[in-house]
Amino acid sequence: MTSTLGPALMGPMGGGKGISDGQFSDKGKPTEVRLSNMNAAKAVSDAVRTSLGPKGMDKMIQTSTGEVVITNDGATILKHMAVLHPAARMLVELSQAQDIEAGDGTTSVVVLAGSLLGAAEKLLSQGIHPTTIAHSFQKAATKAVELLNDISIPVDMNDRESLMRAAATSLNSKIVSQYSSILAPIAVTAVTRLLSPVSSNVDLRDIRIVKKVGGTIEDTELVEGVALNQVVISSAGGPTRIDKARIGLIQFQLSSPKPDMDNQIVVNDYRQMDRILKEERQYLLNLCKRIKKTGCNVLLIQKSILRDAVTDLSLHFLAKLKIMVIKDVERDEIDFIAKSTGCKPVADIEAFTEDKLGSAELVEEFSQNGMKVVKVTGVKNPGKTVSIVCTGANQLVLEESERSLHDALCVVRCIVKKRALIAGGGAPEIHLSRLLTQHAQTLKGKESYCFQAFAEALEIIPTTLAENAGLNPIQIVTELRNRHSLGERTAGINVKKGIISNILEENVVQPLLVSTSALELATETVALILRIDDIQFTR
Amino acid sequence: MNIWADEATEERGENARLSSFVGAMALGDLVKSTLGPKGMNKILQSASNGSITVTNDGATILKSIHLDNPAAKILVNISKVQDDEVGDGTTSVCVLASELLREAEKLVTVNHIHPQTVVEGYRIASRAALSALEGSAIDHGKDEVAFRQDLFNIARTTLSSKVLSQDKEYFANLAVDAVLRLKGSTDLEHIQIIKKVGGKLTDSYLDEGFILDKQIATNSPKRIENAKILIANTSMDTDKIKIFGARVRVDGTSKLAELERAEKEKMKAKVAAIAAHGITCFVNRQLIYNYPESLLAEQGIMSIEHADFEGVERLALVTGGEIASTFDAPDKVKVGRCDVIEEIMIGEDKLIKFSGVAAGQACTVVLRGGTTQMVEEAERSLHDALSVLSQTVKETRVTLGGGCAEMLMSVAVDEAARTVTGKKALAVEGFARALRQIPTILADNGGFDSGELVAKLRAKHYEGMKEAGLDMDIGEVASMKELGVTESFKLKRQVVVSASEAAEMILRVDNILRSTPRRREGQ
Repeated sequence: MTSTLGPALMGPMGGGKGISDGQFSDKGKPTEVRLSNMNAAKAVSDAVRTSLGPKGMDKMIQTSTGEVVITNDGATILKHMAVLHPAARMLVELSQAQDIEAGDGTTSVVVLAGSLLGAAEKLLSQGIHPTTIAHSFQKAATKAVELLNDISIPVDMNDRESLMRAAATSLNSKIVSQYSSILAPIAVTAVTRLLSPVSSNVDLRDIRIVKKVGGTIEDTELVEGVALNQVVISSAGGPTRIDKARIGLIQFQLSSPKPDMDNQIVVNDYRQMDRILKEERQYLLNLCKRIKKTGCNVLLIQKSILRDAVTDLSLHFLAKLKIMVIKDVERDEIDFIAKSTGCKPVADIEAFTEDKLGSAELVEEFSQNGMKVVKVTGVKNPGKTVSIVCTGANQLVLEESERSLHDALCVVRCIVKKRALIAGGGAPEIHLSRLLTQHAQTLKGKESYCFQAFAEALEIIPTTLAENAGLNPIQIVTELRNRHSLGERTAGINVKKGIISNILEENVVQPLLVSTSALELATETVALILRIDDIQFTR
Repeated sequence: MNIWADEATEERGENARLSSFVGAMALGDLVKSTLGPKGMNKILQSASNGSITVTNDGATILKSIHLDNPAAKILVNISKVQDDEVGDGTTSVCVLASELLREAEKLVTVNHIHPQTVVEGYRIASRAALSALEGSAIDHGKDEVAFRQDLFNIARTTLSSKVLSQDKEYFANLAVDAVLRLKGSTDLEHIQIIKKVGGKLTDSYLDEGFILDKQIATNSPKRIENAKILIANTSMDTDKIKIFGARVRVDGTSKLAELERAEKEKMKAKVAAIAAHGITCFVNRQLIYNYPESLLAEQGIMSIEHADFEGVERLALVTGGEIASTFDAPDKVKVGRCDVIEEIMIGEDKLIKFSGVAAGQACTVVLRGGTTQMVEEAERSLHDALSVLSQTVKETRVTLGGGCAEMLMSVAVDEAARTVTGKKALAVEGFARALRQIPTILADNGGFDSGELVAKLRAKHYEGMKEAGLDMDIGEVASMKELGVTESFKLKRQVVVSASEAAEMILRVDNILRSTPRRREGQ
């Protein structure tokens, strides 16, 4: 960019006063604050930069509790980083916002923000006023989103192939990349199952991911029905497989009674002791019998903090009555279970009637590779929920696999929200950069400069992709530019082969929403950081 | 002899005055860079919990910083009053006061004018300024279309100096719509602002009705039409006997079981009493346990538990209900009403929306943004705009912004100075100079040549172009009327009045007494 500046235009002080026509002289402190903000933010962006793309590297994070996390997910890395600097913290939040909005592209958004700040720094040193930069950047982002909309490919929700490609692209940049052929269909099926013809959003809470250590990632599967986190209690010899199950979900406890008031059982002599034991037996037996009477043969019990959910005695009774017991159901799971099995939670034994039960063909505890999963299959009138059993050889892999799966789910959800795809592999960024540069030439004044800088900043994505893949970034990016100017709008970096090719043929696609949201959010945050000229300490 | 107690200090005469001048000016310099459409933001980093705030709202900045200068505290105070009275112009008032003091300092130290004489001059000047301002004010209160345009312009002007400037048209419309719904009331309680991180600023929207950031209980119906809402603050676990140490003694498990059953019966009775109000929705401040929840669900009543205090009070306000805590007399409790209650999704969260509420003026603004700092600053900006608008609906006169009103006043004050005899005249001129500092700072913040621009602006005003102001986009003098840069008359008036009063008060100080700081334990 500087090459376009004639030496005559440069002020006598060199870079200090450049193209600014006014009298803007930045004072000492604001400049320092601004630079410190930018440096901090760029440091954050540099920290995650190497994890971008299919050849991106992972980070090992040791959390404050000593736990180890291995991940390639930008939002997760940043969440665990103990960031102190206020501007750096804003970038961390930026990545989280992208996580909420799109679910994927959490690394890209931070890298983009870092690059935009770098561009802004250059513009500042040329004497352009920070608010002018902020304003122009936001205009450029709006223009860029328009341009992205123009090149997007509309997609139909019934087109599984396209959805699968988008999910696979997201998965390819994770540890689980070699399993993308397994996880991608799962993600697509899970989200499409929740869809109704009119829905414009999907609540991911209706997709339950059950994590189990054991087996490999390949064993991850979508359950036809419901999978439960909890295992069957078999200590008292109760059944672990029930055909023609009638499922009851209770929110009361099968243990000795305990009123909310403080109480004390006063025992005067030994005969009374016997009576207390007998009464307790009687009480529990009564409860169990009444449960059996409703026809219930699978019992899910909500966790209670005040008292034990079950006692050995009640377990024994239930086992005798051939009722399968699953305890420790969390209160926030009740909604999901009730929705997916069609049963209604019961808070009191008096209200426990047959119509509260849900029906399923089979409830069985499977055990394979040393892990146990309870699956409910053949549910009658199932609600719109999906369960996925996610497996992995160890905790670290499992966690990352779950995060990747979540990202893939988000990618599919993005397509639900905005039904369009664009090419991946750095193609859209180069396209934008080229068109914005052209657009900049039609503008006048400082704005034109800012647009130009914005366009160049976008090239950080293909550059980083190439760098991370061990390619020569300059060669790759210039060739990419060249191909685009020859009209190949879908030319992108084929990271696997290390060449430039038509990226659509490589099936590398991403949802439009991920890119547009990344652009908009990054620009918004950069504009906010640019407008800061002071840090004040308060109480 | 020690007259003062240990560590109590006294500053006198010249010293006292200087220390107040310095404090006030330092504070003015601190906030002056946030003034105007090209003003900058500040990061406020809390020393106690490390949380950060990004803002350019003068009142927020001044409220948060730690000060140990009495004069500076007075400025903080007037900015607070401005915030309460009008809601915006908090930076302007502080900057103007500090500029007045800067002029006063010169008059006192260089020209050797007695502070009381300066005060006298300032009084003459502020009277002249206010009458000029009043003369220039325009009232469109009678003409509905023109008035809406005025409101829109005011909102746009206010928002252009905030984080929302990029989307000011969008938010200005939103704010005007919200305020017009209030139908003249200045009670901003009716406008609820919900902040959700994620999405971009223009994803924000205005929704009629009320949104509660809570979830509907599991079993309840998820949508209710023609709802009757009982809002309560009562414990829905078990009504414990609240006598300290009360406990029961029993001699067997069956007795315990009976006791437990009795507790449940009690709850059942309570639920029945609640249901007797003929309601379809029950909102409780406290938790609703599983048992009462399922009982309510059986009767087809939607239950919402653990609503926050503010939410409950606002819900009561907008649905026209009362917050009840006893349920013995159903006919005495006012039940809230609304047309539809349903679940909506914002970002990843589910919330409950009450639409068609009894108080038709109620509405909710849902703000979205990239970061917490962003949405919080957006909320502050929107709140400023809303309060200015609601004040303007009452006091319908408007004046022009962009440094136009200040220059107009300064010209009038200069005119007045000519007729004043004696040393006071110098003070009157000083007041005019201070007023001119506002457009100067605006131009400085925009990175323009302030000296030249303000001189041009002044010339235009002397030529009789009363609506000339600064166009901050291009850095030229232009007609503010054509650009639609409008400000509330009440705001401008309040700025001049408070600033001159504060300046007067600080000027009169000639002695600062500090008492011994209170000792804390262990020091």
